[in-house]
Order: sequence, then structure tokens, then C-alpha cells
Amino acid sequence: MRILAVFEKGERIRHIGHLDIQRSVQRGLRRSGLPVAYSQGFNPHILITFAQALSTGACGKREIMDVTMAEEVSAEEFVARMNRAMPPEMQVREARAVDAKHPSLMGMVRAADYDLTIRDAEIGARLAEAIPAMMAKETIPALRKTKTKLTEVDIKPLILSIRGEANHVFATLVLTERESCKPQMLLEALKQAAGIEGEVRMLVTRERLLGEDASGVLAPLETL
Amino acid sequence: MDYNEKFEMALEKVQKAPRYTGGEMNTTVKAWDEARLHFGFCFPDTYEVGMSHLGMKILYGLINRESWSLCERFFMPWTDMMDIMKAEGIPLLSMESRRPLRDFDVIGFTLQYEMSYSNILAMIEMGGVPIDSCERGENDPIVVAGGPCAFNPEPLADFIDAFMIGDGEDVMTELNRVILSRRENGWTRGKCLRELAKLEGVYVPSLYDVTYEADGRVRSVTPNCPEASPTVRKRVVVDLNTTYYPEEIPVPYTEVVFDRIMLEIMRGCTRGCRFCQAGMLYRPVRERSLEKLTDLAEKLQEATGYEEISLSSLSSGDYTCLPELIRTLMKNMKDKRVSISLPSLRIDSVLKESLEETQQVRKTSLTFAPEAGTQRMRDVINKGVTEEDLLEKVRDAFHGGWNSVKLYFMDGLPTETEADLDGIADLARKVVSEYFAVPKDRRARGLRVTVSVSIFVPKPFTPFQWAPQDTIETVFAKTGHLKKVLNIKGVTFNWHEPYLSFMEACFARGDRRMGKVLRRAYEKGCILDGWSETFRFDTWMEAFKECDLDPAFYANRERALDEVLPWDHIDSGISKSFLLREWEKSRRAETTKDCRKGCNGCGLQKWKGVCGYANAGGT
Ligand code: SF4
Repeated sequence: MRILAVFEKGERIRHIGHLDIQRSVQRGLRRSGLPVAYSQGFNPHILITFAQALSTGACGKREIMDVTMAEEVSAEEFVARMNRAMPPEMQVREARAVDAKHPSLMGMVRAADYDLTIRDAEIGARLAEAIPAMMAKETIPALRKTKTKLTEVDIKPLILSIRGEANHVFATLVLTERESCKPQMLLEALKQAAGIEGEVRMLVTRERLLGEDASGVLAPLETL
Repeated sequence: MDYNEKFEMALEKVQKAPRYTGGEMNTTVKAWDEARLHFGFCFPDTYEVGMSHLGMKILYGLINRESWSLCERFFMPWTDMMDIMKAEGIPLLSMESRRPLRDFDVIGFTLQYEMSYSNILAMIEMGGVPIDSCERGENDPIVVAGGPCAFNPEPLADFIDAFMIGDGEDVMTELNRVILSRRENGWTRGKCLRELAKLEGVYVPSLYDVTYEADGRVRSVTPNCPEASPTVRKRVVVDLNTTYYPEEIPVPYTEVVFDRIMLEIMRGCTRGCRFCQAGMLYRPVRERSLEKLTDLAEKLQEATGYEEISLSSLSSGDYTCLPELIRTLMKNMKDKRVSISLPSLRIDSVLKESLEETQQVRKTSLTFAPEAGTQRMRDVINKGVTEEDLLEKVRDAFHGGWNSVKLYFMDGLPTETEADLDGIADLARKVVSEYFAVPKDRRARGLRVTVSVSIFVPKPFTPFQWAPQDTIETVFAKTGHLKKVLNIKGVTFNWHEPYLSFMEACFARGDRRMGKVLRRAYEKGCILDGWSETFRFDTWMEAFKECDLDPAFYANRERALDEVLPWDHIDSGISKSFLLREWEKSRRAETTKDCRKGCNGCGLQKWKGVCGYANAGGT
């Protein structure tokens, strides 16, 4: 059987990278005493996958791990034992027991909900106000940075929903292996629409990961 | 904007932000107002180095265990963070509750390495506390320090209010109680320091006056008040089974230098290597019991989830029940997928079987420290390893599937000649031959022999405390020779630049005047000297010049045997007559036996009930 668990990456530890978060979850599982399954072979490791890496610097409200268990464990017990074994910044919010045949969540991510909190309230309000103007444009060009190059992409089709509220921008952005709109790309486009230059500090919180249900409607990944 | 907000901004700009953010598993965040005494534990190096250090974890747990005291951690920021902190006026903040250092009642530094001294000044200053002890007022914290380098406290005497000499477990709480009294009874700073001086193992440098001879040698160090005793005797924890050891330790999110459980199986060492300061300072040898260790391993593993346990001590191979300990640990840890790193010198036949069975031992590189290349030189330093011993172990390892061996040596040892350097190459060559002597189909492929040669630094409280260090020019010449003779197929030669060792030598045997050089160098920008990218040797030399002191006086001068040494008022338990005897024997290449074969009369035998081997014969 497997456990799909929803956990938090808190604000204090937002600078921890994805690999370190993964290792910390694994050590948490080892501390919990839960009957996790290990891989065979010379260097056994816990059978676990994570849906979509969260970037360094961002918090996550509902990140998802998928753990294979060696014995039956109830979701309640999983949550209780993990929360004793995990630091306050990485608590498990809920869990669901699924059988081994349940499809892997890894490939099912389609989008994510974000909360971009602009540190400067006044600039935040101006950016929020610029949303309609930006969305009214035919295309919204943004630069995507990869290790080797900068490419221009139109992020308009990647913004599935967006609204502003005080110094927050709430957006649902496409997130697949093939294409995605990073929060930073959205911020740059908004800055341009609002006529703001220079560095704008923001806190990125990934609120939840979304996948498509049988009828093609976006739904929280852990419910699929 | 308050400093917390500014600190958050800084985190977005620096490299490796997680080293500043805390929140790790098993860290303790107590309510500030509920504790009566606040201890700021400072590790004068980066987070990654500090979080690998066992002593810090012991004291962190020990202080937080008491309901009345809390302990929070501080580390040395890297230069990028430091620049922002200085520019923005952000004070040095604790990992737990992000409080500035100046808010704590006690600031405690651990002194592991001389080249971290400039970081101490930087941390004190960034923490908002006056650097000079004499400038601190009634509202400033008491700054204390302990650890191996505290045995020669003099170079730091201007900056540290009180030193703890020897094992910290007992004296730590006693010291905290005195400092608590300062707060609760409204003692003056001076009164508090005099009270501290009454504790055994505590040295308060401002209560001692130092006079010098015309040529710069120390003439005397004498107490200037009745509370200070003429000599300060080190503290010894006699029974490691009953003393505090943490059952849960912080687990960093990021990888640190030693990212695993360190189980201190014993303290001290009976071998008596003459260059080794730790071997003298941590006498006598004290072992933790098998039961205690297996219990601790279990609890620590459950509390941390670590995948690896390493046995920690100066010479783990000497632990009395080592095979049994390892077998028990391997049995208990098997289902938890925990591997045990072994002290490399004991891959003997007793263990071989169980190793092959479980595969629980990592086939990482094996390390050996013959320290010197010829038998004569090894006799001079009393390193009780013979070439046969070493080759036999290497042979076993190659047969056991290892392919990588690291050999550690020193150059610049007293009486060293070219033949001793050539001996290093001979030994390396023999190790290579052992590998090729294993049939091709039975040995692991890809031989790697690494020869690392470090530079000998004479240390206080060793028989070599009187010896000169090689000059920088001599070291370069010797390194050049070694490069030539170590040009062997399959062998990699690692050598060190002599500049850092030279500075280390100046501080290791420095007197109080070295404090001026330290302060000057710090003002001129020296920090993080232990890191090659930030170490600025030329600036240190300028600082010496500006203070009118000669580094060679400290590093390269042979001390007269009747000279007052700057640390003579510290009593390590090892008598000067023993050290002298050992120094003289070393000149004749005569060895001294392991204490387990009988007491050698090092001086500790006079402290009744402290050394378990003291009555086993000998002087
Ligand atoms: S007292 Fe004797 S046995 Fe103990 S450490 Fe000293 S020399 Fe060795």
C-alpha cells in the first residue's frame, strides 16, 4: 500500500532546496518508526516520490509525498507519527491510504495555485491593480531562464486564473514538464504592465498542486 | 525596518541561506522570559563546520536540559552575509530565536583551532559587545571560552573574560550558576569574575599580571587578587557513563561536514604520541561502557533518523570491547538500514566475516596515519606503528575489496632528515605493491593511494612544546623534495602551503602580546583565516610589524628548557618533568610504552582516582 500525504514547507525554511527537503522527509520517516518500504540492493533507500520540486525560496502549503509502506498503516496513524518526527516547519497536514495500483501522482500535475505576496504594500497594490490591463493584452511575453539560455514565451495561455487583493496576487499557473509559468515570470510581466522598475521583493507560496480529474477539470492533486 | 526584516532581505541575496535560518529538528526554542540565564553558544566558524562538532551538541543539550537556562547557537557568517550585516546594521543573531548576541548573559566560544581566533573578534563585535574585555560594562555579557585551545589562553586573554580548562560537562553548569548570581544578586562585573575564578578549572586572565624579559620571553604570570590561584587545574570528568550525553541532537537540513551520529566511545588516549596535543590534554583514557553506548546509539538513531553512526575518539581501535561493540551495533541497526563507520585500523579477521555478511560497512577510503616515513622518525614521535603493521592492514583491506587508501604524514618533525622524507615515498611504494600482489580477479579495480603531508606545528603541553617549527623556506624546500620522490604511479600527493601552519604555530605557543597582533590583523580585515579563499597572510605579517613583534620568535625559536612558558600557570595534570623526559627520549629516538601496558608517570597519577591505569605499574 501507499500513503499520499500533504505536508507543509514553512516560511522559515523556504530557502532549503528540494533535495534537502527530500532528505529531511526521509529522515523524518526513519524517526517516525513507520513501516516504510525500502528498495532492494546495495544502498537501500526509502520508496518515496514527490510531486513537482518546489523551488528554493518558495514556501509550500500543501506539498505532496507518495510513500510506499511495507505494512498496512492508517492515514491517521501516519499523520500522528510523522508529526512527532518532523520539525515544526514541515508538519504533515493530512494523508490518504491508497493501494499499490493507484496511479503515480508525479505525472499528473497540471497546474498550481500560488499566492505571491509583495513585500512592499504600496507596490503590491499597484501590481494587483495592473492585472486587468495585463490580461487584456493579446500576448504576455515573458523571459524563461534556463541554465544555458533565455527564451521568450507567451505566458497568457499559462495563466489559468488570476486576481489581486491588497498586496497579494493569487494565480493558478500551468505547471507541467513541458511548459510552465514561474511566479517570477508573472511578476516581471505585472511589473511591466504597472510600469514598475527595479527589484520587487515577494514571497512565493505554492498553495496547492492541481491535476485533472476524469472529466478534465482541475482538482487538488491529492484528491485524484 | 527592524533588523529581522533586514535579515530576511539579506537571506534572499546570500549564498547558502539555509545555514542562517535554523528550525532544524531537535533544536530547542525556549520561551525567552521563562529562562533565568541565557547562554549564547558561539562556534567561531561556519554553520557547516560547527554543526559537525560533537562538543557543541553536548553542551547545547546540557544547558537546555536545565529548566532555568537556555542555550541558543551562533555561527560565523560567510563574507557575503557579513558584508550585508555590516552595511545594514544587522547584529549577529541566534539561530533559534534570532536574538542579538548582546542580549545573552553569557557568550561561550569553543576553541577548536587557532585560526578561528579572528572570527571570535568578528562575532563579538557583530554581536554588539565590546571586543576588549576591559571595555565591557555592567550591562554587557560575560564572554567565556573552552575547548582544547583554551589550554594556552594567553593570545585571547584580552578578549575572553573567563576560560574553562578541561572537560566542560561539570564546570559549565557551575559557571552558569555563578553568572546567574551576578544577575540575580546584582553583582558587579568584577565581583562576578572573581567569583568565577574560585571555580576549579576556570581561568580569569584579567586577574593575572604578566611580566616579560627584555628579549620578549615571559618572566612571570602572577595573580593580582586572592581569588585567583597561581595555577589553574583542568577539570576531568572521571566517569563517562554517568556524565551527560545528549540523546537527541539537532539534524541539519543541509549537508554538513559530518552529517551523522557521532558516538564518543572514549575520551583520552594511552599511546603518548609526542606531537599530539589532544593525546596529552585529554588524558586519562576513559571508556563508555558497551551497554551505555548501545543504548545511546539506539536513542540517537531514533531521535535523528540518521543513516550512519561513526565511532568517535582519538584512537577507537584501542577501545577494549571494540569487536563486540561493532557486532552489537551492526545487529541492532541492521533492520534500520544504518551503517557503521569503522575505525580503519581494526579491519581485523574477527570482523571480516560479519562485514562481508551484512555489507553494513561502507567501503569508503581507508585512512592510516603513520605520521612519519621511517622507523627512526616514528620512534622519535613515539608513534607505535611499524611498517609491518601497516602493510598487513593494507593487505587485508585490498583483499577485502578496498581500493583506496589514504596515508597521513607530517613533515618538519624534530630531527627530521632527507632520509625520513624519502621514507614516506618508500612506504607509499610498498602500499602500491601490496595492491598489485592481490590477484587481478580478486582485487577491486582502480587503485588510489593518497599521501597527505601536513606541516608539524609544535603545541603546548606536548613533549615538543620546546621545538622550533621549520621556517617557511625550509618547508617549501622539503615539499619540493617530496614532490619529486612521490611521483609514483597510483599515488596522489597532497601538500599544504606553509603559511597557515606558520600562523597556527604563532598562536599555539603565543603569549598575551599575540592578542595585539590578532586585534590589529582583524582591524585590517583578517577573518575566516581557516579558509584558503579568505586567508590573508601578508596582512598578518603587516600586523606583526605594526605591533613590533616577530612571528619567528613564536614559530621558529627553540625554547630554552628553563624558560617560563606562557601557559605554565595552567595545570593540565601532565607534569613538566614528564614532558621534559619525553623530549629528551625523543632526541635519542627512544620510545615510551602505551599506558595500557603500565603507567609512565605523566603526572596525572598524582590526582587520586582519576586515571584507571595509574596503578598498573611503572613509575
Ligand atoms: S597517569 Fe600513568 S597511566 Fe595514566 S595517563 Fe599518565 S602515564 Fe598514563
